[in-house]
This record gives sequence, C-alpha cells and structure tokens, in this order.
Amino acid sequence: MKRFLYLAIITFFALPSAIAQEISLKGQELFGDIKARQIGPALMSGRINDIEMHPTDPRVMYVGAAGGGVWKSIDGGATFAPIFDEYVQSIGVVKLDPKRPDEVIWVGTGEIWTRNSVSIGNGLYKSTDGGKTWKEIPGFENSERIASIAINPNNTDEVYVGVLGALWSDSTVRGVYKTTDGGQTWIQVLYLNPSTGAGDVVMDPEDPRILYASMWQFRRTAWSFNSGGISSGLYKSMDAGATWKKIQEGFPSGPLGRIAIAMAPSDHNRLYAVLETGEKTTNGLWTSPDAGASWQHLNSDFGLTVRPFYFSRITIDPRDPNTIIKAGLTGSISRDGGKTFKDLGNMHGDIHDIAFHIHESDILFCGTDGGLYRSWNGGGTLEIVENLPISQFYQISVDNASPYHIYGGLQDNGSWWGPNSSPAGVNGRDWNSVGAGDGFRVLKHPTKNIIYSEMQGAENVWRYDIDRKKTKNIQPLEEKGKSKLRFNWNAPMALSAHNPDRFYMGSQYLHKSDDMGDTWTIISPDLTTNDASKQNQESSGGLSMDNSGAENHTTLFTIAESPLDENTIWVGTDDGNVQVTTDGGKTWNNVTPNLIGVPANTWVYHIEASVHGKGTAYAVFDGHTRGDFNTYVLKTTDFGKTWTNIVSDAIEKNAFARNIQEDYENENLLFLGTEFGLYITIDGGQNWSKFTNNMPSVAVHFIDLQKEANDLVMGTHGRGVIIIDDISPLRFLNQEVLSKDVHFFGTKPFTMTEQSGFAGSEVSETEFVGPSKASGARIVYYLKKRHTFGKMELEIQDMEGNKVATLSPGKSKGINVVNWEYTSGAPKMADAKTLSFSGFTPKRVPAGMYKVVLTKGKDRYEHTIELKYDETSLATLEERKEQERMTQVMFDMVEDLAYMVYQITEYQKAAQALILNHPKDKKPAEKLYDALERLRKDLVITTGDNYVGTAEPRLREKMGTLYSNIASSYDGVSASQMQNFRLISGEFELAQKRFEDILKKEGSKFESVLKKNAMELPGLLQKNTYLGKD
Amino acid sequence: MKTLKFISMGVLFLLGTLVIKAQTADEIISNFIENTGGLDAWKSLKALKFEGNVDIGQGITIPIEVISTNDGKTMIKANFQGQNFYQTVYDGETLWGTNQMTMQAEKSDAEATANYKNEANDFPDPFIDYKEKGYTVELIGNETIEGTDTYKIKLVKEPVMVDGKEEQDISFYYFDTENFVPIVVETEINSGPAAGMVSQTKLSDYQEVDGLYFAFSIVDGIKGQPGGQGVTITSISLNPEVDESIFAFPEPVSTGETKE
Repeated sequence: MKRFLYLAIITFFALPSAIAQEISLKGQELFGDIKARQIGPALMSGRINDIEMHPTDPRVMYVGAAGGGVWKSIDGGATFAPIFDEYVQSIGVVKLDPKRPDEVIWVGTGEIWTRNSVSIGNGLYKSTDGGKTWKEIPGFENSERIASIAINPNNTDEVYVGVLGALWSDSTVRGVYKTTDGGQTWIQVLYLNPSTGAGDVVMDPEDPRILYASMWQFRRTAWSFNSGGISSGLYKSMDAGATWKKIQEGFPSGPLGRIAIAMAPSDHNRLYAVLETGEKTTNGLWTSPDAGASWQHLNSDFGLTVRPFYFSRITIDPRDPNTIIKAGLTGSISRDGGKTFKDLGNMHGDIHDIAFHIHESDILFCGTDGGLYRSWNGGGTLEIVENLPISQFYQISVDNASPYHIYGGLQDNGSWWGPNSSPAGVNGRDWNSVGAGDGFRVLKHPTKNIIYSEMQGAENVWRYDIDRKKTKNIQPLEEKGKSKLRFNWNAPMALSAHNPDRFYMGSQYLHKSDDMGDTWTIISPDLTTNDASKQNQESSGGLSMDNSGAENHTTLFTIAESPLDENTIWVGTDDGNVQVTTDGGKTWNNVTPNLIGVPANTWVYHIEASVHGKGTAYAVFDGHTRGDFNTYVLKTTDFGKTWTNIVSDAIEKNAFARNIQEDYENENLLFLGTEFGLYITIDGGQNWSKFTNNMPSVAVHFIDLQKEANDLVMGTHGRGVIIIDDISPLRFLNQEVLSKDVHFFGTKPFTMTEQSGFAGSEVSETEFVGPSKASGARIVYYLKKRHTFGKMELEIQDMEGNKVATLSPGKSKGINVVNWEYTSGAPKMADAKTLSFSGFTPKRVPAGMYKVVLTKGKDRYEHTIELKYDETSLATLEERKEQERMTQVMFDMVEDLAYMVYQITEYQKAAQALILNHPKDKKPAEKLYDALERLRKDLVITTGDNYVGTAEPRLREKMGTLYSNIASSYDGVSASQMQNFRLISGEFELAQKRFEDILKKEGSKFESVLKKNAMELPGLLQKNTYLGKD
Repeated sequence: MKTLKFISMGVLFLLGTLVIKAQTADEIISNFIENTGGLDAWKSLKALKFEGNVDIGQGITIPIEVISTNDGKTMIKANFQGQNFYQTVYDGETLWGTNQMTMQAEKSDAEATANYKNEANDFPDPFIDYKEKGYTVELIGNETIEGTDTYKIKLVKEPVMVDGKEEQDISFYYFDTENFVPIVVETEINSGPAAGMVSQTKLSDYQEVDGLYFAFSIVDGIKGQPGGQGVTITSISLNPEVDESIFAFPEPVSTGETKE
C-alpha cells in the first residue's frame, strides 16, 4: 500500500511539468526560506504616535508607532512584540473594545502628527482575537490618516472614527464616520470640506449620544505647511452624531488651527481644549466646566502652544480632573487644573501621547520621537522601553570592512554606526553615535577611518576621525558671486568610486571636494527649477510659524557618480529635475524632458548609477508630497536620452518608491524600497514580488548592497535596519534553475573564521537584541516543491564518501539556506552520575573539499564545497594540523573510555544477575563486581549532582576537559596541554591494565561459575555499534 | 520540548482528495482526518511511542523517547551520558520533569499542570472530535508559507492560565492546499523571555506507519528568527505495551550516598 501511495504522489506531482509551461518569475515562493534579519537598533527607538491601555488588565498595553506598526505588551510595558507586521506600519490610533478588550482591537492607520516626513496609512483594521489576525474594514482605503476611534461602551458595535485624511491633497474621505454594525457599514456623520479633517473624537461614556469632535483645516506641500482656517472648529453632537453644532463660546473669532479636546474621566462635564490661534492671549489651553457650553482661557505657555500640528494631545489623570498632561517638546504637567505647568522629567524630546496606568497615577507612559518611556513617580523620572526597534532611518550605507558596518541617520535621533552582526546579537552597546539633531546621510570614507555625517539642512556636516576622535565641520559655505545656498532638510552627499578622498554635496549646486571637504568647488549651475514661489519657508506653518528647515525646497536631493566613469555624474532634485554631466561638471544636460510617465516637478528621490553601463542609471520619483502615490521607476541606458518604465502592476496601490538598488552582477536583479515594503525583480522589472519573509510592510527609505557579503541592507523608516543576508542565489534564478527539482547554488570557498570571546550575556531580557548573522558554511539550494512526504536528509561527507556531519535540511519550496558550523559531532562520553560538559564540545573539521549530499527518497543530489583556514589564525598550518591530530587522539580516548565503562557496567550487570539467581555461588560474582566498581569509581563520577553537589573530577572529567580545551582552541596545542596529555594517557593506560587484570583474575573465576550455572557472559555490543558509528 | 506536542500529527495521503477543492475549515479538517485512515482508525489508537533524536546543534543529537496514551498520559525521556532526563511526564494528575541540576524529579507548578490537563483530550490529534471538545476553527484564508500555498486555519482550544490570568489558547495550522497535510503550526508564546513572539513548528517527512501517516521531522523555532531545534523521529509504534508506572511521579528517596 505504501508503495502505491508514493507512486501516486510521484505521478501526481509529475503532471504539471508534463505540460512544460513557463515558470513564473514572481511570487513569494521564489524566496523560500530566505529571511530578513531585523537588527534594530532600539536604543534610540523611534516615533510613537499613540498609546492604548487595556481598560481592566494592567499587564496589557499597546503602542502605535509612527512608522513601525502596532506593538503589544503583556507584561505591563516591560517588553513589547509586534502584532501588525503584514500591514501598513504607519499608525494613527489603536483602540480596544471596552466590552471585549482582550479580543477586539481597532487600528486606524496613517500617523497624525503631520511632520514633513510622515508615512501614509491605508485604512482601518480590526482584530477579534487580540491581534493575532486582522481584517481590513472596507471604506477607508483612501483615508490616509485616522486620528481617533470612539466606541459606545454599552453597544460596542457602535463605533465612531475620526478621519484626519489626506495631508498633501484635497480629499472627501475626512471627518467623522459611524457604524452601528461593528464596521460592516458606515455613514459619514460629520464632513465639512475637502481640506478639513477630524482630529479628536471624544465620547461621553455615561451618555454615549454625546460626542465631541475637533476639526482641522490643514495642508502640506513639499515646500510649505499651512495649519488653520475658518473651517477648523470644535463640534458637539447630542444625538449620536446625527447633528453637530460648534461649541466655541468664548473662543476668538477668525481662523483656528489644530484643536485638541479631552474630557476628564472623573468629571464628564469638565473639558479641556488646546487651541491654535496664533495669538498669545487666546492660544493654548482652555477649559469648560459645563460640557462645552462656555470656555475659559487658562494658559499660553510655550509647552501648551508649541508646534500644534505635531503636539495636540491632552491626557487627564483618570482619577483627578485637575491633573493634566499636554504633549509637547518636553511634555507639560499641571496639577492645578491647567493654571500652571511644569515640564515632565528628562526623556527624548517631542512627546506625542501620554497614558496613565489604569490603577496608579504615579505610573505613566509617554510616547516620543525617541520611543516609549515609563515613569514610576508621576512623570518626574523617565526610563526608556529598551525593546522597541522602531527607529526611523532616512538613509543607510555600509562600509567594505569584514564584517562590515552599517551607517545611517534617523529622524530626530542623530546618526549612528554599528556592526551588522555581533557575537551575542546586535544590541544597543554595539552602536556608536556620529552626529546630532536629525540624522540623514552617513558615509564611511572608502579607505580611511573617517565618517561623514550631517544634520538637518546641512547645518553641520561632520568629518569624524574615528581613531583620533576629532570632528571637523566641513559643510560647503556661501561663496562670493553665488546665490545663498539652499540645502534640503535631507541634504545629499556622495562618495566616488574613483577617488577615495572625493566628497560631493548638493545645495542647488553640486559641490565637489577632492580633499575630504576641506576645499569645495561648485561644479554646476543651479540645477533646480529655482522656482521662487517654493522658497518662501519663512511664511510656512499657517497660524503658528513653523520654519524648521524641513520645507526647504528647490534643492538637490540625490547625487550619483558613475562607478564606471568619474566624469559622469547624475543629480536629481526635489522639484523634479534629472541632470547629468559627462565631463565632470563642465556642462550639464537637463534630461527631465525625456522622462516618461512622470508628472512634471515630481521629486527625484534617488538615482542609481549602474555598474552595468556608463550611460545606465535608474531614477526613482516620489510624488507623495503632491498627493500622488504612484510608483515611478525609470531606467536609462543612454545617459538619459531615453527612459523605460520598469514598474509592473504587481506593486500594490499607493506603494510609492523612494529607492532602488541594483545588483552588481546580474543587471536584471533589482530591489525596490517602497512605502509599503521591499519588492524584488529577477527579470529587470517585468515582474516584481513583495518580499515578506520576516520583512514588515514598512517604508524602505534606502537600500545598500554590501559587495563582499552580498547582503542587502535596508534603512527603514520605522523598523530600523533590516538585512537580507547574501542575496547572491537570486542572481541565478532563471527558467533552467526553476525547472530543476533540486539545484545547489555555487558558493565561494568558506573561510572557517577563528574567533572566540565573550558575548556579554549581561544584556537584559528587556533590551532588544538583533539576531547575529548565521556563521558557518552557507549551503543554499532550490527546491521546486516543498518536501513533505518521505525522508529527506542532508549530509556532509568527505570526498571519499565518509559521513562527517548530518544537517537539518530546509524543505521549503524555493531557496533554502542551511548553515554548517564546520563541526562533526562530539565524542560519546562514558556514562556517569553527572554530566560532563565536554560532551557538548564538537570536533572541528580540517580545511578541504567536502561533499554535500541531499537525499530525497531514492533521489540523491550532490554538491561540493571548499573550506579554508582563517588567514588570521594564531596557529601555523603545522600547529593547526597538530591540533587536529591531538583533538582526534583525545576524541578517541574519550570514546575508548566510554566503551570501557560500558563493558564494566555490562559485566557488573551479569555479576548482579548471578548474585540474584544463584546466591550460593555469589562470591566470585561479588568479587568481580566490587573490583569493577572500585575501578569505575576512579573512572567516572558516581555521586553528587550537576551543580554545587558535584563530586571531585575523575578520569572521564579530566580527559574530557583536555579534549575540550584542545578541540575548541584556535591556537596550537600548548606544552602544558601536552604535559597534561601524558599524565592522562598514563592514567588511562593504567586503568586499561587494571581492567584487563580484573577480567583475568576475578573475571575468569566469575566465568567458571557462570558456566557452572549454565549462564552466559554478557553479549557486548561491538565498539562501533555502541558508539553509534555503524 | 514544546515541539513534541505536535508529534502526534499524522496524515494519510489519498490521491482522490486532490481534486476536491476545499472551501471551509470544516471540509479541510474533515479531509485531513478522514483521509488519514479515518476517524475510526485514529480514535482506536490507545497509545503511541515515538523514538528519535533532538538536534541540539553543532552536530550533537540527544536520543529521546515519547510515549502518550489516549487517557492523556505522556512521558518524554532523553538519555545522555547514561542519565535519563524526563520532561512533560503526566500521569493524569501530576506533571513533572527532571531538574537538571540535581537530576531529581520535580513537580511542575499548579498552573502548568492545570493547563496540561487540558491537553489530555488532544490525543492523538487536537482536530479529532474538535467540535465535541468545544474547540472552534476558522479558515483565515490562503497563505504562502514555506513557498507553498496553504489554508491557514485558526484553532481555539480550552483557555489556558498564564501567570494567574486566563488567556485564549490559539494556534494556526497551515494545511498544504494540495494534500491537506499541515506543514506549519504557529502559536503565540505567552510567557517567558520570548513572550509575545510566535513559535513556529515545521512538519515534514510524513511517512506511513500501519496505515496512519505521521510527520517524522519536526522543527521548532521562533517565527522570523534564525535557528530552531529539529526532532527526527526514527520509529513510531502504535499501541505499544505501556508500563503505567513510568508516568508516576517518583517520590524522593534517600540516595543512600555517603559523602566521600
């Protein structure tokens, strides 16, 4: 029957290939087992948009990150885990159902603190199982930003959603929406106009018909921001949203900006509102004692009025209507009903949300631009939550060290560099600061130990000498005869593949230095549109002036010198120009008119100058600051004269792109960073596939490909650095490979890195640690079909076919990756009362060629790999060989002892059996048993435990320790070890002699009584059988 | 050794099922169970014994033996250097295991024991009679996992207690759409250092044993994280003779040792 079944399986599986159709070069199945590695960091964390406390269980809380998804804590805020990775990572609000808070979670996507660099959302989601699975609620696909959710506590199918809506364009998907059937159908119950959205929606839980809603008229462009207008206002409904009226008795007339509204949980008539009026006497905090019928102005201190678009939240102590906290640059707390305020304790600046513990007002949480903070003393002292890796990188780069480092700048969190892998995982300590303010581009000098970094608007451009710890500010400065320099908030810098000291920066001009920034030459005219109407940043902000530099426009944004020709330089500007020079900047060619399908003035986010042709480049355009979320990627092979669109329909709606990375070997292999994650094509853009293996749908702002390791390193804007280790197998995916049942990908010889040290295990459980890169030989193969039925084994053999190691094979359809640590198992230790940990020390294999043998049922597939010794080894080749020889000697000795103890025990068992069954002949048996037991007690531990009850080491322990010392050493065998070896081997010889003697003396007497009683000697296993080698 | 609770997964592969396009969770599970030799065959099982090896990395494996019975008793035994380590041993009342420092048996805490008692009715597979057990299932949809199109089914069992608080016991099974075999099982880890993360168990190497199919390879890891621990089953016996005394908690006895 079994045979029939397998035949049936084979027959069935053979059918599709008989049709011989072309295999699609897309789909998740291409990637199989290749997984991304999220390494954080979490030490600077990232922007939090919203905090939600469970209403009855203080262990449970949620945070919605601005760009890093939804995180849940089940330990009272000590640690968090992500629960929303498959969906858009920009979060506006998280809300729990008051009746079923363990099950029902609502998530409104799209962050609502509308700075220049915000991500977008794509709707409303609901989970009914505590966040394990999610369903998208139809109707909000174009909501872009959802600010608030209010749920009727008596009937939780009645839900109100406040949609702030589009930031960069008009939209009718705004205002307050209501469902009475748990989200199946919705009515827009409050809508004003296409430029005004809903901020806070607050419900009176005692009378759920009473609702408050703050409406905000706002608009951002790439070069300006406007908060406020006559449509902004504060509204109240007394009839469950059917009708609304303004409640602004006492407010100034005229335009208003962003408004925050909150109700005291302990006094539902007491309201607080923060108004943006632009006028000192009316700006800031107001209160109403009568549910909004009248209002009094309370406070217009800095903390209450700072940047209303960024800070518009009031949190009131659930137990005290006079204790209120206002979000802000530092966060402000009042304990006198809002008359006076003081700053919250030290933490990262820019506090967006605050939440009190449900039972204890001394405990509170603050969500900031730099992560989540906890306070145990009412906001006086704050400690950071250390395991939220939601850092927001703008840019990323790698160096050419081995192992390589990663460099990048973050939103409001400076610039950093750190290792891609670390012995105990990549933790906070591994990262080094290399900048202040907002961080953007960070580049390592190609040959010197120097890092370039910058802060916003190139206010500082640092050249940091790592070894000498010296910093020099090298930003290009205004020159006589040239216009005032305009630098982007995220100002471009670039290095050269041809001259290591060369360094480029872009204002509206291209600046070039051949001495690491000491001397600058402008090598271009103004390459932008120089549109004066987009240069009036002083008037940006609307009712509250907001000239942070974030809106600087008509600037260069991307610079790329061709890796094949130093005179070919590409430049892209934020106002839509693509310019190229082929003579090192003497003349410039504006190739913008040659672009196809890209609306004029669309931000040129990235140009990638190709290694595959001097005239080849990719350009990525981002129109999102004009409300255009299309994906634009063009390729040219003729210096920009003609362009091809390389985007396919497989890229999801609204996934606008910011970055592309080409492969250095296969021109058709490309990686695209979009607002909703990473896409990969293996056929030059005809088919794109989203990469989702441990890769959230996070905005990928920048991608680099490390040339030596072939690691794809992504700077994400919300989930830190994410790496896909060694993408080289993707280079070889083609019809031929995909049609094979099994295909091994070729690999370069593996160097058996000799490194040991201390992993620093004191990193606490509450700190995020990014996984290390897998070590060992990386065996990569493609399976046409997932292996599910029958045996599949993966073995390493020497070239003669002897088994060296057994590995656990990956069985995914697609690419599988298996790591072999260059070991071939540990020796079998003698049985004893306690454990010898030497039994966990594996033997390392010598350098050379090895066979990788994969068997699937009757089919066998082979591949050869080569291992090399580490050139940095402490040992000479001769010493290494001696170490290997001695390792084997000790390995065998340990197993010889194990076999001897086994024999002893078997004889003892036989003796016991005789004693039991033939007591009158027991004397010879007892003598044998006792003699063996005396010997056994010298050989192995027979008492005590594995901890402090441990007995003195016996021969097994001493032998094991020496084996382990030699086997695990990267040095030669020391004189001391050899001396110890002579001692131990001497002892072992004596023990062997004792065993022989016992068998001769007590053993032969025992044998005769055995015979007399018609009993037999124990049937001993052959040594190889005992050792499991047969 | 959480892995081992998935060991009892088994499937009988029948060609006929391949043409049926399953639509509902019920149908998928029904295919899974009926085609595994049928409900009757599974339900007539009285006990199972698995022998195999746990791969602890670096090419080192530890032999293990697992016995489970239809009245909910279990025993997992690992042997290393002549010592037996017991884990998840349950006699219907007491859950116990070996303390690795003292090598003595110790009882698990009351909560773990109570939670384990709920698993007693999951022999030989949680999906058997799931409705009668009060479990609920839901087809979440199709998902590509292990490069393979699967049906993702959510299984909710009896609630469990986690550090004093009642929680839902939810796991997700991914059934290969071609043959209805579960190839991956995911469960959220609800306590300990990995709390909040998702454990992921990959099942493969299904082979037939006396008419029933079992996964002979079980790899347990954390979703998204590198590594994982593999168990390779070398033999399975159906309805072995079971010495009931192996499940009983060994009360401490004097070792009679004298200090040397």
